[in-house]
Formats: sequence, structure tokens, C-alpha cells
Amino acid sequence: MAETEALAIAGSWVAAMLRSSTPLMMVTLGETLTQRVGIVNLGVEGQMLCGACVGFAVAAATGSPVLGFAAGATAGLLLSFVHATLCLGCDANQIGSGIAVFTLGLGLSSYFGRSAIGGKVAGLAPLADNSFADALFVGPILTQLTAIAPFAILVVLIAGLWLYRTRTGLNWRITGESFQTARALGIRPLLVQAQGILVGGLLSGFAGAILSVDYTQTWANEMTKGRGFVAVGLVIVARWNPFLVLPVVLLFGLSEAATLRLQATGLTLSPYLISCLPYLVCLGCVIIVAVREGRIGGMPAELASVFGRRR
Amino acid sequence: MAQPLVMMSSIRKQFGPVLANDDVSVTVNAGEVLALLGENGAGKSTLMKILYGFYAADAGTIRISGQPVSFSSPREAMAAGIGMVFQQFSLIPALSVLENLLAALPDAPWLQPRGSTKVRAALRWLTRLAPEIDPNRAVRTLSVGERQLVELAKVLNLDARVVILDEPTSVLTPAETERLYGFIKTLTSEGKAVVLITHKLADIAACADHIVVMRGGKIVDEAPARDRTPGSLVEAMVGRGVAGSLPPPSSPPTDVPLLQVRGLSADIQGRKIRDVSFELAPGEILGIAGVSGNGQFTLAESLAGLVPALAGDVVLDGVSIASRVEDGAISGDVAYVPERPLDNAVVADLDLALNLALRDVRQLDFFPDRKAAFRRAHELISRYDIRPPQPTLAASALSGGNLQKLVIARELSGRVRLVIACYPTMGLDVLATQAVYREMFRQATEDACVVWISEELDDLLSYAHRIAVIHAGEIMGITRREAADRRTLGRWMAGHAMIEAA
Repeated sequence: MAETEALAIAGSWVAAMLRSSTPLMMVTLGETLTQRVGIVNLGVEGQMLCGACVGFAVAAATGSPVLGFAAGATAGLLLSFVHATLCLGCDANQIGSGIAVFTLGLGLSSYFGRSAIGGKVAGLAPLADNSFADALFVGPILTQLTAIAPFAILVVLIAGLWLYRTRTGLNWRITGESFQTARALGIRPLLVQAQGILVGGLLSGFAGAILSVDYTQTWANEMTKGRGFVAVGLVIVARWNPFLVLPVVLLFGLSEAATLRLQATGLTLSPYLISCLPYLVCLGCVIIVAVREGRIGGMPAELASVFGRRR
Repeated sequence: MAQPLVMMSSIRKQFGPVLANDDVSVTVNAGEVLALLGENGAGKSTLMKILYGFYAADAGTIRISGQPVSFSSPREAMAAGIGMVFQQFSLIPALSVLENLLAALPDAPWLQPRGSTKVRAALRWLTRLAPEIDPNRAVRTLSVGERQLVELAKVLNLDARVVILDEPTSVLTPAETERLYGFIKTLTSEGKAVVLITHKLADIAACADHIVVMRGGKIVDEAPARDRTPGSLVEAMVGRGVAGSLPPPSSPPTDVPLLQVRGLSADIQGRKIRDVSFELAPGEILGIAGVSGNGQFTLAESLAGLVPALAGDVVLDGVSIASRVEDGAISGDVAYVPERPLDNAVVADLDLALNLALRDVRQLDFFPDRKAAFRRAHELISRYDIRPPQPTLAASALSGGNLQKLVIARELSGRVRLVIACYPTMGLDVLATQAVYREMFRQATEDACVVWISEELDDLLSYAHRIAVIHAGEIMGITRREAADRRTLGRWMAGHAMIEAA
């Protein structure tokens, strides 16, 4: 029946979309929170790589994917500490510091990851075993996805609620809008910014670990393929709003899944061109947002001081 | 007699060479409005910022309800019941009204679901002051008057017993001003003390109980409000007799036009002027009246040659100057005092000496002579009384009035043939206004044409030789001052064009 077939295909698309967007979801959320306190961290790509590398190594050594996630997140956190120290402690330029963190993460992960290349780990168990494989629509979703995808969605929703409905969330937003006002209100803005950077590091390291331990279940040099930088762009598309991170990242994941499917159909178009599709979608989003900028707004005002704060 | 709520005695505060407060003592009583009157820079704000813990006094004591206190930060002052609403609001535009109020609430709950009683508590004053403001609106969508009310609610939320308002009416429309007067009376009737920093006599007449007049950092007069007349207050404020009006400039010696504007049309981002024509003789002052936002900015910019004319021409002494500023041919002949000097006329990060030299920036040497620039700056700064008088200071450090003096000094100190002044006295006090007018009129007596865009109809009617009214980018009519009457000008401002005499 055509209808069941359509549902089955839809199910497998949703599964592919969720699988490929889970790491991106976490890193985009992390960068969103970092930017909400008025700091840009271009080092997320390097933090992701370190998270992927360390997470993979720990998961392979212990056999526990959960320990791998924890280790990856910690690695991202530690690397972001460099960014926090440079930007907040030494008043370094955020762009420069971010790029330094990226190259540092790239180098460290390539060097220490040599021995892990080509290895394999067992990821988390799927949400349901193969007896559900034939269930309509949810079958492919339940058998292909692990607990990490719903967990990531939950994290995004909690982060959104926290940011918009708690006093600490409000303090973060105030810091991101005006450092001076935050100080006048008795918030310690430097502390908040440090927290924002570290949370961003934690989530990007986690995202890297998801990528290596859960998604590809392998480690390769530079395996994040620019996802960290994509996340910096998606933050803008999502207007610095955690709730909007979800649809934006899913749209990106959908176009990425479409890329794989298109290649599988044996399309004669160059695979390099096809794999541009997600970025074209992104570009379209950015243009739409830019055109309607005035009405949408949303950029934390303190981000304007990325190139130097007046004190 | 009841204990005074606040007693500040022998307060002294020095900023560099400037003595901002010199042995000042004031008393604030509960249930009373104290008006601190004075010109820009008289030391009123400084005095109140000391009370608010923003500055530390160099000498003197503060007592609150008889207890000596010393605040090292506004937070300590707030805890003691002192609240201050500044001219520049400390609201965050991107956040909602409610969020701004919650942010300043010391006992705000951690979880803030909308509608919970603790969150509602942040709105208790706002709903009294302005129930029509939706607390979920972003502050950036509010008018200035509404923002001020939010700021006031924020201060009142902290249970302030003394509310200090810094020039509160300078940004308000007349209706909003009336409303604020009402709130001030409500507050005092509830036993709160209000300190009103102002230089407007209307504020005093409307709600002051007690008046302290400051000049040059000292108290020059102090009395209950009913014992003083506006005239005596102005006298105390400016300290040189009644703020005598300047003599009107004499009429131009000749009718031969020096400046001819013919069918000028221009457009700056939708703000258009169409078919503007007039002629000015040397020494003639043309006042341009009109409700602001009717093309004044575009007119000024296009006369100054900064934007290309879409049609028509501006001819100064036989030479077309429209759109010519880039080639430098006319920059020596045209002086332009634009509106909002901080955005349009100075480079905020450069020092005063360089800002004063900007007019000749094309003629500067490759290695500019710093010493000469500083000599000239010293001379201009003392001649135009720019404060603080330090040529090395960045322009951004000057107050609005002094910034305007800086621009006037740069543009009008030399010899020019055309002066374009756009709201040159906006935000200035009486003395600074007179100084600006004097320079403008001096240029006229030296045979320059003056195009003077202003909202001060009374001043235009006293000083301009002719008055034109602009509406929606078109000149509605031009009349000689002697023939002008307010009713006709009002009709023109509302868009009724001059009916051509048969």
C-alpha cells in the first residue's frame, strides 16, 4: 500500500534527520548560551573535536558510552576554559582567542587521536529492539535512534525554560544585553560570562562525543567537518533563542539527511555539490532573517563589543 | 519639628580643577518636593549623585533621619531608601517591562512563572502609575515617557523614601509632563520626599514646595516656592540681572541676493524636500520653522552640500555649491551646525583640539602641527567657555551643551559666507543659548547669510529677518518678521500653504 510505504519512508527520514542533527543541536545550544552572555566563541569546532576524540577514547577503553559522553563533555569544558581565561582574564580579542582555541583543539585531537583512528565502539542501545522494526512510522525511529536524541531535545527545552523563566536566566540575558547595567544591578557579569563560556564548552564537547560515540561510532581526524562553525551560523539563524535552535537545527539535519538519500539514489550530480545543500538552506535562512532583521531582532547587544569593550 | 529625612551638610566635591560642589548644604523633608534649580553644570546632579552613592564627597556629611551615613555605592543608598531616576535610563531595551522590573527587585524569586504572586509583586507600582503599559512589551517599543515611568516604578519597587528625578521633564511631551507632575504629588502625599533636578521654571511652578538654586557649585538662593517669582529665580540662576534679550540684528544693507536656492529637491532615506526656493541677501537671517521631522534635516544637509540635489541648485555668490562638499571648494565658505552634534558633527573619540581642527582637515599638513592645533584649541576653548577646558579630552567626555559650544566654536569662529544651523540651541540653558545666538548674529553682521532651523518660534519671531515654514518637505510660506503672526505661521505648520496675494 502506498500509504504505509510513505509512512515508512517518512519514519526513516525523521530518524535520519534526528540522528544527524543531535550533535549539532547540542553545539548550537552551547554557542547560543555563550553568545547570550555576550561572548562569541569560535573555538567550538576545536572543543567539539576534542570532545569527539576524548569521548571516543574513553568509550573504547571502558566500553561505556555514557562515560565517553561525560569524558567528551569534560574535554570541551577544559578547552573552553582557555577561551574564558584569554577573553575574560587577559581581555584578549574574542575572535583571536576563539581561533586559537580552534587550532589548539584541532592539533591536540589530531595528535592524541592517532592511535584511535579506525577503532570501533559500541554506542548506546537503540530505543527499541528489532521486534519493533515493522511498526508503522515509529519503527525506524525507535530502532535507529538511541536515548541521546530525546535527551538532547529535553536539554534544549530545559535550557530555554531556564533562560526565560528563572532569575539566573534573566541575569544571563541582562549580562548579554549590557555589561554595565548588569554590574549596576549587582550581578557579577564576568562570572556570568565565564559560566556562559564553560557551559558552551561542556555542550560542544558533549556534541563531539555524540558524534564519535553514538553517531559514527568511530574516530577520524577532523571528523566534525566544520559543524562547530555551522553552529555559530545557526545561532544567528535561531536568533539567539534556545527554543528556535530546535527547528533550525532540525531543518539543517533534514537537508543533510536529504543529501545522503540523494546520493543513495544514484543521482549523477557531483556529491560535492549535493553535500552543499544544507549550507544552501542555511544561506537561505540567513538571507530571510537578514531581510526581516528589523522586525525580528534578538541579538544580545553586548555582542557588539566583541571587537573591544569600552571601559 | 519633625526630623528632616535627609540632611547634607558642607558637601564638597572636586573633579580635577573644577569645584563641582563647594560647601553645599541642603535638607530634604518627607512629603515635600525640593526643586534643585540651576543651569547645566551648576552642580545639581553631582550633589544628588553624592547622595545616591554614585560619587563619594570629598568633604561633608550626610544624615538620614538623623543618622550619619556614608554610601560607597548606589546599592547601599538604595537600601537606605534613596532612589534616583537618571536622564539616561538604565533599562535594557531588548527585555520586557516585567523583566526589567524583576531584574532590579532584590527579593525576586528564582523560578519566575508569569502570573505567580511574587512575580506580580514587581508590577505593584507600575500598575498604579501606568496601568495601560503591557508588562510583556519590550522596553524598546515604549515611548520615552513610558520608559521613564517604568524607571520610576523600578525605583519605587525598592521602597524608596527619597526619589530623585534628574531633569525628568526634558524628554517628555507636554501631556506626559502633566502626568508626571500628578505622580510627584501622589508620592509626596504618601510621605515620600521628591528631589526634582531641573532648569525649567515650569517644573517649579507646577510642583515645587521648596527651591534651592545653584550656580557654579554653590547655593545662591534658597526659599519656599511661594516666596519666589520666576523672574527672581532666573536672576539667581544666571546671576547677571534679568536674562536680557539680545538686540535683534539689524536689517541687511542690501537686497542683492548672496544665496539663491532654486527648486531644490533632495531625499535622505525617504525624508524628502521638494522644490525649495528662496534668496538671501548678505547679512540676512532666514528662520525656518516647522514641526520637526518635516524635512528640516534633509534641507540642512542638502544646503550644506552633503547630499546630492535631485533637482534644483544652490548658488552662493554666483557659484553653484549643491553637492559640492566633497571637492572642498566651498568648505571654507559654509559653516554647518547640524542637529545632534555628537552623531553628526564631532568624532567622539578624538580630543577637543583635533575636533576643533576638523574644519580645515583638507588643508592640514601631512604631519599636522600639534602645537599649533593645541594653541588654537586653548584660545577657542577659553573664548567659547567650553568646559572642562582641556584640549586633550575626548569629545565624548563633554556634556551636550559644551559639545554644542565646541561645534559652534569650530564652525562660527572664522569668516564664512553661509551659516546653516539646525536646532543649534536644543538642550542648552539660557546662557549657552544666548552665546550661540550671539555668534550666529555676529556672522550675520559680518555679511554672511544665515539659515536658522529651529523649533523656538518665539526666538525666530524676535531675531530672524524673515521666517519660512516647512511642512512635508515643502516651503509653505515665507514672511518678513514684522508681518509675521503666530496664527498664520501655525496654519502653515499644519500644512496650509500661503495663499498667493492677488
